[in-house]
Amino acid sequence: MRKTSSRHDILGDHVETDKLVPEGDRSAPAFRGDVSFAPESGAQLLDSALCRQVEKVCAPKAIASKEVDGRLQLTLDKGRCIMCGLCEEAAPALFEVQSRFSRPVKKKSDLVVAQLPTKAPDGRDSSHEELGRQLSKKITKILGRSLAIREVDAGSCNGCEVEVAALNNAIYDIERFGAHFVASPRHADVLLVTGVGSRNMEAALRRTFDATPDPKVVVAVGACATTGGIFGDTYATSGGVGDIVPVDVYVPGCPPRPEALLYGLLLAVDRIR
Amino acid sequence: MTNGEVASVHTGAARRESMLLETFGKRLVSVNTTNWNEVHVHARSKEDIPELCLYVRHELKGKLATIICSDERRVTGAFVLRYAFDIGGGEDLFVIVTARVEHGDSASPPVFPSIALLLPAATLYEREIRDTFGLIPEGNPDQRPLSLHEHWPEDAFPLRKEFELRTKVANVQNRDYRFLKVEGEGVTEIPVGPVHAGIIEPGHFRFSALGEIIVNLETRLFYTHRGVEKLAEDLSLEHVLLLSERISGDEAVANSSAYCQALEKVAGVLPPPRALQIRAVCAELERVYNHLGTLAGLSTDVGFAYGAARLNILKERMMRLNEQVTGSRLLFGVNRLGGVGVDMPSEKSRLVKGTIDTVLADFNRIVKLLRNDSSVMDRLRGTGTIGPNDAEEMGLLGVAARSSGLDVDTRRDHPYGAYRSITIAPHYDTPRHITEHEVEMANRRGDVLARFETRVEEVVNSANMLGEVLWNLDSDPELSIPLGKDALNPFSHALGYSESHRGQTVHWVMVGEKPGTIFRYKVRTASFANWPAIEMAVVNDILADFPLINKSLDLSYAGNDL
Repeated sequence: MRKTSSRHDILGDHVETDKLVPEGDRSAPAFRGDVSFAPESGAQLLDSALCRQVEKVCAPKAIASKEVDGRLQLTLDKGRCIMCGLCEEAAPALFEVQSRFSRPVKKKSDLVVAQLPTKAPDGRDSSHEELGRQLSKKITKILGRSLAIREVDAGSCNGCEVEVAALNNAIYDIERFGAHFVASPRHADVLLVTGVGSRNMEAALRRTFDATPDPKVVVAVGACATTGGIFGDTYATSGGVGDIVPVDVYVPGCPPRPEALLYGLLLAVDRIR
Repeated sequence: MTNGEVASVHTGAARRESMLLETFGKRLVSVNTTNWNEVHVHARSKEDIPELCLYVRHELKGKLATIICSDERRVTGAFVLRYAFDIGGGEDLFVIVTARVEHGDSASPPVFPSIALLLPAATLYEREIRDTFGLIPEGNPDQRPLSLHEHWPEDAFPLRKEFELRTKVANVQNRDYRFLKVEGEGVTEIPVGPVHAGIIEPGHFRFSALGEIIVNLETRLFYTHRGVEKLAEDLSLEHVLLLSERISGDEAVANSSAYCQALEKVAGVLPPPRALQIRAVCAELERVYNHLGTLAGLSTDVGFAYGAARLNILKERMMRLNEQVTGSRLLFGVNRLGGVGVDMPSEKSRLVKGTIDTVLADFNRIVKLLRNDSSVMDRLRGTGTIGPNDAEEMGLLGVAARSSGLDVDTRRDHPYGAYRSITIAPHYDTPRHITEHEVEMANRRGDVLARFETRVEEVVNSANMLGEVLWNLDSDPELSIPLGKDALNPFSHALGYSESHRGQTVHWVMVGEKPGTIFRYKVRTASFANWPAIEMAVVNDILADFPLINKSLDLSYAGNDL
C-alpha cells in the first residue's frame, strides 16, 4: 500500500535535513526575533510622556529612559526582552521587531543598547548548517575531539527546554558537529543553564556547577537566565542565574531558537581556551 | 455569559441552588449564580466546609477542580476559601463552596477544617495554602511544606497582602524534608534529581525498591517555583497575559486562553467569532506538536530511536508551521484580552491545511510501524497502570483520565470559545459511534499503551478539527474587542478554563480595586492534578520503566510549580 515514492516517504532513506532546510534557509519572515531601535528612531524627539508610555508597555522592563546632556535617551536591554512586540505596536517609529534572532554575547552589558547611535544589523542570519560547521571546526581546533554539554533547568517555563531538546532532533542533529548532551555534570565542558535561578533550585545549581570539572563554561539560555526576564527579581527568583554561578555567555530570546543556541555554543567554545 | 445568545438562565444552576438551600437552609449565607455557570454557595461557618464539599462531591456529582484561597482581610476582614467543583454530565456547571476564615488574634495561626481525608484530591491544595497563606488545615495528615522548601522560614507567607513581592527572605539552615521511609530486608532507597540525566525540568524522586521492583515512590516538586501568582498581583492585565503564556511554555495557548476567558467573563465581553476560531486553531496546533513530542519520547524511552527520530521530525515541522503562522515556534503571543493578536489570512490557512495533511499522512505510517513492532508494544502494554477508580478518586484530567476510562474533556463538558460548534471527536455523533466509543473506553486499561493510543487518536482528531475550523473561518475580519477597564468592577471574579494537551487548566481571576490590576490570580494546570498519579502508577513496575511511565503521563513541572 505504498502510495508515495520513497523520496517523500517519512520512512524512506532520504536525508531529511537537506530536504527541509536548504542551505541558507533562515527563520520565517513572521518570526518575532531581535527587537531593536528603528533605523530612523535617532531622529525622533522624545518627550517624557512618550518615554513613560513605552516604558510602561514593556513587561520585563527592558526599556528604560534617562537624561543624557539634557536630552532624553532610551535604552533597550535585549537580555530582558521577551519578544512580545508590544513596543513596536505602541511606538512603530521607535522600535522594530526583526525576523533575525538576537545575538548571543559574552558580556552582559553588550545586550543593553542605547537609542543613539543606531548600528546597522550585522548581516543576515546564518543557517544552522553554517553555524554548525563553524562550531565543528572550532571544537576540533580547541578541544581536539568533542564538546560535552549538560543542560540544567534552574526554574524555566520549559519553553527553553523544548528548544534545547530540538537541537537533538534529526534536523538540527547537533551530534554531527561534535557536540553532544551528557547525562551528568561530571563529564561536561559546558553547562547550559535555563530559567530564572529559582530559590528552590539555587543549591542544586551551585552543586551542579561544583561537580563540573575545570575548565568549564556556563551559558545562560533565555531571557530568564540572563536577567530574570518577565519574572524579574522576586522572593522566589533571582535576577538571572549570574547571581548564583559565573556566566560566560548570554543567549537572549524567549525562548532562543536552535540557531541562537548554536551561536551561543560557538561563543562558549571560545571561552574554553 | 452576558452575551445575547446564551443570556437565559442556566436551569441546572437553578436546580442546584434550590437543592443546596433545601439541604443546608440557615447554615448558608446565600446561594447565587454568576457568570452563567458558577453557583456560589456561601457557608455561614467554616466548620461546614467538609459537609458541604462532601454533599457537592457525592450528591451533585462534582469533581474538585481547584481550591482558591485569597487574602481579603483588608476588604472583608477575613481570608476566603473557595472550593470549586466541576459538575460533570454535560451540564456545563461549576459549584463553588465559599467560606471565610477569620484571622482572630494574631498570636495563634488561623485554621480551617481539612477535607483531605474525605477527598484525597484536596491534599496538595491544602498544603499549598498552608505554605503561602499560613492557614493551617486541621486534620490534614501531611503538614510538610510543599511549594516553599525547607530553607523557607515558617513565618513568612508570600501570598498574604502584607508580604512584599521583592522581599528576600533569609535561608533557614539545617532543616530536613522527611520522606516516607520503607523498611525491610533488601529494600534500597534511590534518590533521583532534581537535576536529571535528560533535557527535562527539575524534580526529585525518592524510590524505594526491592531489587528491580518499585515498592514506593515519593515525588518532591516545586523546584521551578517562580512566584507566578504573587507576581501577577504586581503586573497590569496585559502583562499578566504574557506571564500566563510563560506558566508552562509548551501550554502557552491553553493557559493564556483560560486567563483571557476569565477576564472576558468579568468584563462581559465575547470576542469576535473569528478570534475565537483562531484561538481554537492555535490550541489544536499546540496539542498536535506536543502529542508528537510525547509519542517521540515514548519511543525513545523504549529504546526505539528510529521511531523517535521520525516523530521528532514531524514535531519540528509543526513547530516551523507555528512560527510561520504566529511568529513564535511555541505559539507565544497568540492571545490578546478580548481576542487574538494574529490573523489567519487565506494563504496561512492553506499552509496549515497543507502541512497538517502531509504530517498526518507521515504520522499514520509511523504509528503503523510502531504498532507492528512487538518490542515496542510489549514495553507499553500493562506498564504503569492507573485503574478507573483511582483515576476518579485522584481527580485525574486530560489524556491520563481518558486513558483510564474517564470520559472527561473540557472542550465538550464546558464548551468555551469556538468549541461550541466544533466536532471534537467523531465518536460523539451517532448512537452507533457513541456505543462504539463506550466499548472503547471500557477497554482502556489505563496503562502506557492506552495513553499512547489516546494520544494517537487525539492527533488525528485535532487534525480533523483544524480542517473543519479553517474551512469555516468567519469572514468578519475583526480580531478583538477592547475590554474597557471601567467594565471591570473591583473585586469581581470569574473562572476561566480550557483543555490543554495535558488536560483541564483552570484560572481564577479576581480584579483589583485600581483599574487594570489583579487582586488574586489562582492557576491550576492539569499537571498539578495529575502529578500524584505517578506515585501510584509506578508501584510494582520495574525501575527501568519509570521514565516510560513518566513520559506517558507527560506532566509539566513548571505548570505544577508556578
